[in-house]
Amino acid sequence: MVSELSDIAGATASPAQGGAAPRDEAAQHRPADHDPAAALRRKWRSRLYRWDVKGSPYAFVSPFFLFFVAFGLFPLIYTGWSSFYRVELTNLDAREFVGFHNYTRLFQDEFFWNALRNTFTIGVISTVPQLLMALGLAHLLNYRLRGSTFFRVAMLVPYATSVAAAALVFTLMFGTDYGMINWALGHLGFGHTDWRAGTWSSQIAVSSIVIWRWTGYNTLIYLAAMQAVPSDLYESAALDGASRWQQFRHVTVPMLRPTILFTIVVSTIGATQLFGEPYLFGGTGGEKGGSAHQFQTLGLYLYEQGWTNYHLGRASAIAWTMFLLLLLIAAVNGLAARWLRKSQ
Amino acid sequence: MAVFSSPRQVRSKSKAGKQMHAGPVTYAVLIVFTAVSLFPLIWTAIAASRTSGRLSQTPPPLWFGANLFKNLGTAWTDANLSQALLNSAVVAGSITVGTVLFSTIAGFAFAKLRFRFKTVLLMLVIATMMVPPQLSVVPMFLWIAKLDWTNHLQAVILPTFVSAFGVFFMRQYLTQALPTELIEAARVDGASSMRIVWHVVFPVARPAMAVLGMLTFVFAWNDFFWPIIALTQENPTVQVALTSLAHGYVPDESVVMAGALLGTLPLLLVFVVFGKQIVGGIMQGAVKG
Amino acid sequence: MGTTTKSHRHRSRRTAAVALAAVAALGASLLAGCSSDSGNTSSPGSSGGKGKTTITVGTFGVFGYKQAGLYDEYEKAHPNITIKENVIERNDTYYPQLLTHLAAGSGLSDIQAIEVGNINEVVTTQAAKFEDLSKASGVDKSNFLPWKWAQATTADNKTVALGTDIGPMAICYRTDLFKKAGLPTDRTKVGALWAGDWSKYIAAGKTYKKSAPTGTTFMDSAAGLYQAVSNSYSERYYDSSGNVVYKTSPSVKTAWNLAMEASTSGLTGKLKLFDKAWDQAFANGKFASLPCPSWMLGYIQEKSGDSGKGKWDVAAAPKPANWGGSFIGVPSAGKNKAEAVKLAAWLTAPEQQAKVFAKQASFPSAPGAYDLPAVKDAKHAYFNNAPIGEIFASAAKSIPTLVIGPKDQQIYTAITDVGILQVEQQGKTPAQGWAAAVKEINNALDQ
Repeated sequence: MVSELSDIAGATASPAQGGAAPRDEAAQHRPADHDPAAALRRKWRSRLYRWDVKGSPYAFVSPFFLFFVAFGLFPLIYTGWSSFYRVELTNLDAREFVGFHNYTRLFQDEFFWNALRNTFTIGVISTVPQLLMALGLAHLLNYRLRGSTFFRVAMLVPYATSVAAAALVFTLMFGTDYGMINWALGHLGFGHTDWRAGTWSSQIAVSSIVIWRWTGYNTLIYLAAMQAVPSDLYESAALDGASRWQQFRHVTVPMLRPTILFTIVVSTIGATQLFGEPYLFGGTGGEKGGSAHQFQTLGLYLYEQGWTNYHLGRASAIAWTMFLLLLLIAAVNGLAARWLRKSQ
Repeated sequence: MAVFSSPRQVRSKSKAGKQMHAGPVTYAVLIVFTAVSLFPLIWTAIAASRTSGRLSQTPPPLWFGANLFKNLGTAWTDANLSQALLNSAVVAGSITVGTVLFSTIAGFAFAKLRFRFKTVLLMLVIATMMVPPQLSVVPMFLWIAKLDWTNHLQAVILPTFVSAFGVFFMRQYLTQALPTELIEAARVDGASSMRIVWHVVFPVARPAMAVLGMLTFVFAWNDFFWPIIALTQENPTVQVALTSLAHGYVPDESVVMAGALLGTLPLLLVFVVFGKQIVGGIMQGAVKG
Repeated sequence: MGTTTKSHRHRSRRTAAVALAAVAALGASLLAGCSSDSGNTSSPGSSGGKGKTTITVGTFGVFGYKQAGLYDEYEKAHPNITIKENVIERNDTYYPQLLTHLAAGSGLSDIQAIEVGNINEVVTTQAAKFEDLSKASGVDKSNFLPWKWAQATTADNKTVALGTDIGPMAICYRTDLFKKAGLPTDRTKVGALWAGDWSKYIAAGKTYKKSAPTGTTFMDSAAGLYQAVSNSYSERYYDSSGNVVYKTSPSVKTAWNLAMEASTSGLTGKLKLFDKAWDQAFANGKFASLPCPSWMLGYIQEKSGDSGKGKWDVAAAPKPANWGGSFIGVPSAGKNKAEAVKLAAWLTAPEQQAKVFAKQASFPSAPGAYDLPAVKDAKHAYFNNAPIGEIFASAAKSIPTLVIGPKDQQIYTAITDVGILQVEQQGKTPAQGWAAAVKEINNALDQ
């Protein structure tokens, strides 16, 4: 992931920046040698130009970093610092330094490993279909449509639906005795499933909520990127006799590479931090993720330790472990990509 | 002029072809997905039109009852929603403007400009996304309390005023969508960076800005975890105000649903406004003539 | 540049308009932000307009002071006071927020509510951050049940909060189902079935099961039974010197065994309390009885709906016990401490507690209220006109003084939501369920 990103960064660092000189129209009409004021102005202008080219990139990225330093850095450091202490939310002042205890403890913590496993399986069964469906839907939405605004708006409604409403609806849908899904499955000859009690059934249910909630979200992201694909590419592909499917595969997907990479990165991060959907699926005391923690994700476990058991130090260690885990995934991904390229 | 002789640009002159029209299958698929997407919201309205007790009965109601306006009225006054809606509009509006603006210029810099430490800084931006949000709440509140911002709207606006997600999104989008030749051409014309952003980047980025705007607005509007700590019912956002609806040992679920509905409807309005911005042919407009 | 320039300019004019609108929106919103800020700078606990003092009351969902008209009444009697309530629906959102606010000494309401499951933790870890109400004017210790008073008082006699409601328990049962199963329906006779011994309640369940109406069970869940039984002792998860003793305490052992017996004998509906499926089981009349604290009556009525009208009744529980209830305290970081103490004392006085009871059956923790007509003569129409004032008052008077500890909530949740639910819903054996609960508790208590 990392190396792929830096590849893109390298590839797009085009010769354009600073390469082209400004066309000074005044200079063309009046040779500078005869007018010292103009020469000064031109000199000044070209200096301004150079400052602009050199300085503006920093100016453009600085708001993000300024706000991050003001509001993001302190929580990050505070959390990291807390992860080396025994500290409870009930008494933040009573800290006891414990070194790496909170981290080493996690290695023997079966609840942590269970949550890690669940996060992985739910992540896979929710993210892969979600992104594939989103890509397909975006392709359809990119056709000339009647009511295109309506369809676009509808796609984002799940993301906008309030959590309380979604929780109630899905609880009713996945109910054991009166749920609509069991009712429908019953007509197909299946017996009643207690969706929440089983490991796979609960993870499938949680994943389906994730897919419901985020497919439209990714669809719009893809759609925006598709809007920027020049239509003549499709036309020439069509002239070459490419079917719609072939156009999609050979024009859309390659052009969308940066955006697809973006959604993969963001979905991976989102899946690792998954919290809301399993929480609402669990009903009261949702942070446990089921009575045997069968759908407790890392996000829920972190929440349970920090906000139900008030172990702030341990929760901080979980947070930092998740953070480091994502960095590790990124690094491994990058190394693998590099190795693959070398071996080719 | 040389810029526009690149083969890709020249070809983009003709209009979208006929094969881009949608067929009946496309409509069928979209309608199915739309129905699945809309169902919970529609059901929210159904639930809001019933009584709380009816929602526990089986089968659950599938059509509207008679209490919609009564429940909406109760939710409106009980949760003090008029002030909450105004606050949420201010909060979500400010965060959206800040995020879209700063993400676009930063994304542009990361995608198309050359500067030292670019890759490192980009990695840093992405890394900040990886920090689990649930825990930042405690230190963030200590910090906000120190600033004496508790219960003030800036306490929920400024911490999410910029977004790594937005920067990364814009960078990826502009990498693909913004031809480097356009910037070169503008440079040749002596345009300053600000002018390039204004006249070249913003037009090209418009569909992505619209999508980012929608996503950011929804996020800010529905954010609950931090506002519930930073604000109180005296100066609430919609999500904070809505938690006050479930009072008594027997919360009235139909009123809670009515509140949820009132809290969601403004978003649909925003969607329509933004949704229209995601229009095709941006490239042609910016390049061709 | 030719045509390019032209269209470029045209395009950019539109962009400029959009961007301008955006900037204007930002400006407007920041202005609005400022103005609505300045409108509120005064509100965190200080005076409003016209020299009025605003007292804020922070509660989670269950209090009903506003609904019972108490704020209006107090404001009328004290024209210089305005009361504002900060309600958060659920205690598991409310309490962490309260802890965060206490830690920062900011964002607190003048009065803050505390649930019984958290009171011991507040008393042992947050006492310094609350006002001592034991000697405050208007507060009369003798107004409160002694055990309720003691729960909110530190070892060195600082009372950090005043009792609001308590949850004396009874058994709610459906006369129609009892009749079909051949059990008595009269509330005195029903109470006599199991008086004094929870195992007799199980025995009645076994009788019920022999001729139970199809599709129904005797009770809703093993978890509710466990809660009721374990609370009818004086020692549960902690001993009086603060040690965790749940593994050996007789109350937990008895309660667990009875719950397991009920579950494995098929007497329970295997439900999770306060779940949607629980609500639906009420609506469909799927079980015949459950241990019910006074505050649950409204819930049962709402969820059972019209179809359950006249079918429910209330009988005395085998043993008196308490389930639930709350406190209100005054944080020292508040801005109107003196006024807040006065209001807290007034809200918890017997007369006001009786008014809340009349509104939503939150049972008073002030025994003085039990003789007031609002309580003494209270009958519940939905529950066959059961004399609930009398039933719950007599239970309240003999509730044992229960030793509570800081992590009661976590231990209770682990036993019911992990241990019992694994047995009821995942087919685990009682031994496996208990082992899972112990593991859960170890993880929660381990520091």
